[in-house]
Amino acid sequence: MKKITKEVLTDAANRLLFTMSDEQYAKLEDEFKILIKQMEKIGEISDLDRYEPMTFPFDCTTTFMREDVPEEPLPREVALKNAGSKQDEQIKLPKVVL
Amino acid sequence: MNFEAIIGIEIHVQQKTKSKMFSAAPNGFSRDPNTQIAPLDMAYPGTMPVVNKQAVINAIRVANALHMEIDHTLYFDRKNYFYSDLPKGFQITQQARPIGKNGYVMVAVPGGMKKIRIERIHMEEDTCKQEHFMDYSLLDYNRAGVPLCEIVSMPDIANGTEAREYAEAIRNIVVYSGTSDGKMEEGSMRCDTNVSIRPYGQKAFGTKVEVKNINSFKNVELAIDYEIKRQSQLLLQGKKIQQETRRWDEASGRTVLMRVKTDAVDYKYFCEPNITPIHMSDEFIQKAIETCPELYDSKKERYLKMGLSETDVEVILANPKTAAYFEEGVPFVQNAKNLANFLIVEINSYLNKNGITIQELELSPKTLGEIVTMQEKGGLSHKQCVDILNKVLEEGVSPEEAKKDLKIVAQVSDTDTILKFVKEALDNNPQSIADFKAGNQRVLGFLVGQVMKASHGKVNPAEVSRLLREELEKR
Repeated sequence: MKKITKEVLTDAANRLLFTMSDEQYAKLEDEFKILIKQMEKIGEISDLDRYEPMTFPFDCTTTFMREDVPEEPLPREVALKNAGSKQDEQIKLPKVVL
Repeated sequence: MNFEAIIGIEIHVQQKTKSKMFSAAPNGFSRDPNTQIAPLDMAYPGTMPVVNKQAVINAIRVANALHMEIDHTLYFDRKNYFYSDLPKGFQITQQARPIGKNGYVMVAVPGGMKKIRIERIHMEEDTCKQEHFMDYSLLDYNRAGVPLCEIVSMPDIANGTEAREYAEAIRNIVVYSGTSDGKMEEGSMRCDTNVSIRPYGQKAFGTKVEVKNINSFKNVELAIDYEIKRQSQLLLQGKKIQQETRRWDEASGRTVLMRVKTDAVDYKYFCEPNITPIHMSDEFIQKAIETCPELYDSKKERYLKMGLSETDVEVILANPKTAAYFEEGVPFVQNAKNLANFLIVEINSYLNKNGITIQELELSPKTLGEIVTMQEKGGLSHKQCVDILNKVLEEGVSPEEAKKDLKIVAQVSDTDTILKFVKEALDNNPQSIADFKAGNQRVLGFLVGQVMKASHGKVNPAEVSRLLREELEKR
């Protein structure tokens, strides 16, 4: 299993475009220690390859889908209420082009 | 050294459902920014995505038309990335279990048909629209959450022409299944292409270059052919091709570097926990397929059987609204080919001249049918019917009124009268007789023209043609 070090976490944070403080890294490292321990416990169980990975904790398959009926949209004033900066009825942000 | 190109295409198709993929906000183009949104599209806490049934039905129809295996259980995943076009910080897509896989489509290539395999089709949501200015960007969330189908081909495409044919084949399917407008110019269909080349005989693939921002079918062809040429020249100069994303620049007719790809972006895909797996019964899938509107290929086959030429069919089917108009008019005429001729030549030129679409045309298919029938059964010439059509279009009168106003009288079908004109035309054109005897069939058209001219268009051209042949045999 990959060892979770600060370098691994920094690399992951960079890829996800996050900045984190040293305290946050330390906390995350501690949390990972617990997680890894739990994973090792699972690793002790033999013959796991026979099982499909589980995405949901129990079978919760549904057949429900929403009918394609539009509802009243948000009034624009409400939609833009939380925006820190606005211009021409749009949300204004510093330019970042990926 | 000769190179072969290996091309794969990813096509994003915007679905024209009434509401969005996971929210009930209206899915309609609006010039008014931020007026077509629900709390989910803005990622308000506590909002939950609910899958749009029609978007699923559309995806099943397209998957079926592309001969794909359809997954009976829908799973969605989160594609995580941090960018302002995506308020949630992730896009809901289908990474692990696409709704359709392992399909193909046949495309026309010189000398026959070629099978282009399709890896997958999956559903996802569109991002918001960003407009970039000097030092800031403006965000309009109207597009955020619009249902998309992404169709990913296998690298089976060998050149620009095949790529265009492929993109057009996909367009025909998504348009006629009622899934999308399929307009590349307006962004409702977007093509990203991956192009690499390798020397003939080499097994390993060359370095892949992605080309984006292609906004028309013609440009799909041009961009790929340009890219193949660019890469070939680099290799011939002993240079390396770098893995990069380029964009098509229509003005200069070239691809331009956007960014060099270093590390593959890690999107940290994981299953979308807020949408539980959705099981679709055989009946549900079967019904989606059975209720699919008639597709392009089937219409094409049917129109060809009606006697239309390949070109006629392509012109009519290029616009589904024209096809609908044509089909509405067919019951009112004897021969669909005559209706097609009027539609393709006269109606299209009227639409172009006036800058309107066929939906805006005030002439009903039934009225056009009546005018065509005047030619078929009423003894009027094509030219006379065109005059009537133009008067109807311009003045909004009925075909009968137009005929009366224009003082148009039915053509003379009386054999003796026509024969007089025919004989006269032959007497005046001995060279044409000689040419005809020598096997030149085209002079017949010329002679018909002479008779029509002499009679001021009042004789029946079909009858003229028949009598001309008879007379020519005698001479």
